[in-house]
Amino acid sequence: MTKMLVSYATLGYPKEKEYLEFIDGCVKEGSDILEIGVPPKYAKYDGPVIRRSYKQVSSWLKDIWPLLKETRDRVKIPIIILTYLEDWLPVIDDFLSNLAKIGMDGILFPDLIIDYVDEYEKYVKKIKDHGLKAVIFTAPSVPDPLIQKVSKISDIFLYYGVRPTTGVPIPVSVDSLITRIRILVDNKLVVGFGLSDVEDMRKALRAGADGIAIGTAYIEAIEKGGVQDAINLVKYFRGVLNEF
Amino acid sequence: MAIEREEILPKYWYNIIPDLPKPLPPPRDPPDAEFSRIDLLRKIMPKEVLRQQFTVERFIKIPEEVREAYLNIGRPTPLMRAKRLEEMLNTPAKIYFKFEGATPTGSHKINTALPQAYFAKAEGVNHVVTETGAGQWGTAVALAARMYNMESTIFMVKVSYEQKPQRRTIMELYGGKVYASPTNLTEYGRKVLAENPSHPGSLGVAMSEAIEYALTNNYRYLVGSVLDVAILHQSVIGQEAMKQMDILGEEPDILIGCVGGGSNFGGFAFPFLGAKRGEKFIAVGSYEIPKFSQGDYMYDFPDSAGLLPMVKMITLGKDYVPPPIYAGGLRYHGAAPSLSLLIKEGIVEWREYSEPEIFEAAKLFAEAQGIVPAPESAHAIKAVIDEALKAKKNHERKVIVFNLSGHGLLDLPNYESMMKRLSK
Repeated sequence: MTKMLVSYATLGYPKEKEYLEFIDGCVKEGSDILEIGVPPKYAKYDGPVIRRSYKQVSSWLKDIWPLLKETRDRVKIPIIILTYLEDWLPVIDDFLSNLAKIGMDGILFPDLIIDYVDEYEKYVKKIKDHGLKAVIFTAPSVPDPLIQKVSKISDIFLYYGVRPTTGVPIPVSVDSLITRIRILVDNKLVVGFGLSDVEDMRKALRAGADGIAIGTAYIEAIEKGGVQDAINLVKYFRGVLNEF
Repeated sequence: MAIEREEILPKYWYNIIPDLPKPLPPPRDPPDAEFSRIDLLRKIMPKEVLRQQFTVERFIKIPEEVREAYLNIGRPTPLMRAKRLEEMLNTPAKIYFKFEGATPTGSHKINTALPQAYFAKAEGVNHVVTETGAGQWGTAVALAARMYNMESTIFMVKVSYEQKPQRRTIMELYGGKVYASPTNLTEYGRKVLAENPSHPGSLGVAMSEAIEYALTNNYRYLVGSVLDVAILHQSVIGQEAMKQMDILGEEPDILIGCVGGGSNFGGFAFPFLGAKRGEKFIAVGSYEIPKFSQGDYMYDFPDSAGLLPMVKMITLGKDYVPPPIYAGGLRYHGAAPSLSLLIKEGIVEWREYSEPEIFEAAKLFAEAQGIVPAPESAHAIKAVIDEALKAKKNHERKVIVFNLSGHGLLDLPNYESMMKRLSK
C-alpha cells in the first residue's frame, strides 16, 4: 500500500491567488490529504515559520468562510481543518456545523489531548455528531495507555508529532519514537512536526509510519522562492514516499 | 569493594515522562513571540542534551566515560541510616538518607554538570558557560568542565560574588573563569549597567548573559535545574538508593526531598515512583517562597529574563522576587513540569516550612549525625522529623528515606547568622 502524503497549507497564504495555486499543485503532484490551517489567535504549539504565515494571513483575511468554501469546491481529496480548540470553544457547535455544511471532511485540534485531556471524549463525540471526522493529534509526551485509547477513535489516521514544536529540528530519535508507538496503534499512523529532513522521513517510514505530514517546508519554500518551488517540493516528497 | 560500587552505579538514566499519568504539556513560545525560544535552545545546548530533554524513552544509556567520571567523583554516594536521629526522636520509624553532600562539590549538582559537559566536549566544543546564584551549580560546572579538559565561564550574581568569596575561590581552583554579573562582556550586561551602574545582579540577568555569551562565541550553555533533562541525569541518585535499599533488605514507605527547581527531588524520588515502590512522596519547599501553597499551575518562563521556552508548571510568576532566605537553592519561582504535574495529580504531596523550623531541624540533625546539612536539605529533614513523629504517635514502623542533597559547610556564615537570630 502506498504511503500517505498529508500536505499542509495555511489558509490564504501567502495571498489568495497563490494559495489556490498551491493547493491545486498539492493535489496534482500526489498529495493524498490536504490539511488547511486556520490562523488561530495564539499558535501555542506551532513553530516560528507557521506562526509567521498565520500572522501574515491574519493581517488581511477577515472572513475565513468564503475561502474555505472555495478550497472545498476545487479540491476533491479529503480536507482536514487544523485549528486550536481554545479559539473556537465559545462557538464550537456553530463552527463545526459550518465546516460540515461546506463539506469539509475532518478536523484536527492540536491542543485537544494536551489542554483538554480530561474531556477530550466529549469533544470527539461533538465533532462526530456534526458529521465530521475527528483526527486526533498525539505526541511522544502522551503516555502509552492514552495513545492506545485515542488511536482507536481517531478517524482517517492518528497524527503523531515527533517534535515539541513544528519546524524546529530539535534532535530526536525519530525511529525509536515511532517504533515505540507503532505496536500500540492499529490505526493508520501519520507522522509530522519538523519532518522535512528526508532522512528523517525515510527513518519514520521504515519504522512503520503509514504517512508523512509536511507543512513548514512548503511555507519556507514559498517564502524563499514562491509557490512553484513549494509545488516542486510536493512532487519531491511524493517521490520519496513512493520508494516505500 | 570497587566491583560493588560499579554494580550500584546505574548504567541507564531513568526518564519518568512515559510513566506520567497524563501527557506532559510541551514547552512553547509565548503569544506574539518575536523569536523561537525552542530554536534558541538548539543553538546553545549540546545536541545530545537537547535530544534527551525531549526524549520519551524510559531508559537512556549513560556513556561509559560519564560512568567513569561518576565513579571518579565518588559515586555511588552513601545511603546511611540516621540511627541516632531515630533514637533522639524515640520513633519506631527507620530513617535512611542518601548523602549527596559526599560529592567533591558538596551537592547533587555535579550529577548533571558531568554529562552535559561530556556531551558538549563530544561535539567538539571546548568551552562551556553558565550562570550561578549562590555558587553550587557554578562550582559543579567548573569541575565538570575541568574533568573533560574544557574551559568554563561562569556568570555569578554580583551580590553573591561579593558576599561569598569562598565559592568563587573553589570555582577558580577548578579553573573556571568567574565574572560578577552584570558584566561588560555582553550586550545585555552593558545595557543593564547603563541603566544602573550599581545593579546588584540577579539570576535572570546572569542567565541572559550566559546564554548571550555562549551564543556569540559558539560555546555551549549548561542548564542547572527545572528542565527535565537535569532530572533525568539526577536519576542516578534514586536508582542507586533503590539498589542500596535492596542490599539492606529494606522497602521504603515514605520518600522525601526538598525542591528548588525539582532536580534533586525528581532525581531521587522518580525512580522509586516509576518502580512503584513507596506509598508516600513528599516534596518540601520553603514557607517564605510559597509556590506550592500559593503558586498557579500554568505556562510560565523558567527564567526571569524570558529567554527559555515557556513550560507548564507550578509557579509564583517569573517576576516574583524571592525573599532573602538562606536556602538560596530554594529561591526559585517555579517547579519542574514533571514534578508539577505529579503534585497536581495528587501523586506527590508537598510541605512548606519556615526558616526557624528548618534551622531547628538542621541543628538536631547535626547533633544527631554530625553532618551539617545544607539549609535547602534541612527542609527535607524537617519533613522527615514530622513523619517520624507521626509514626511514633501511630505506633507504625515506617521506613523513611530522604535525599540529603548537600552539606552545609559552605553555608556556615548563614548558620552563624541564623544562630544569632533564632537560638533561644
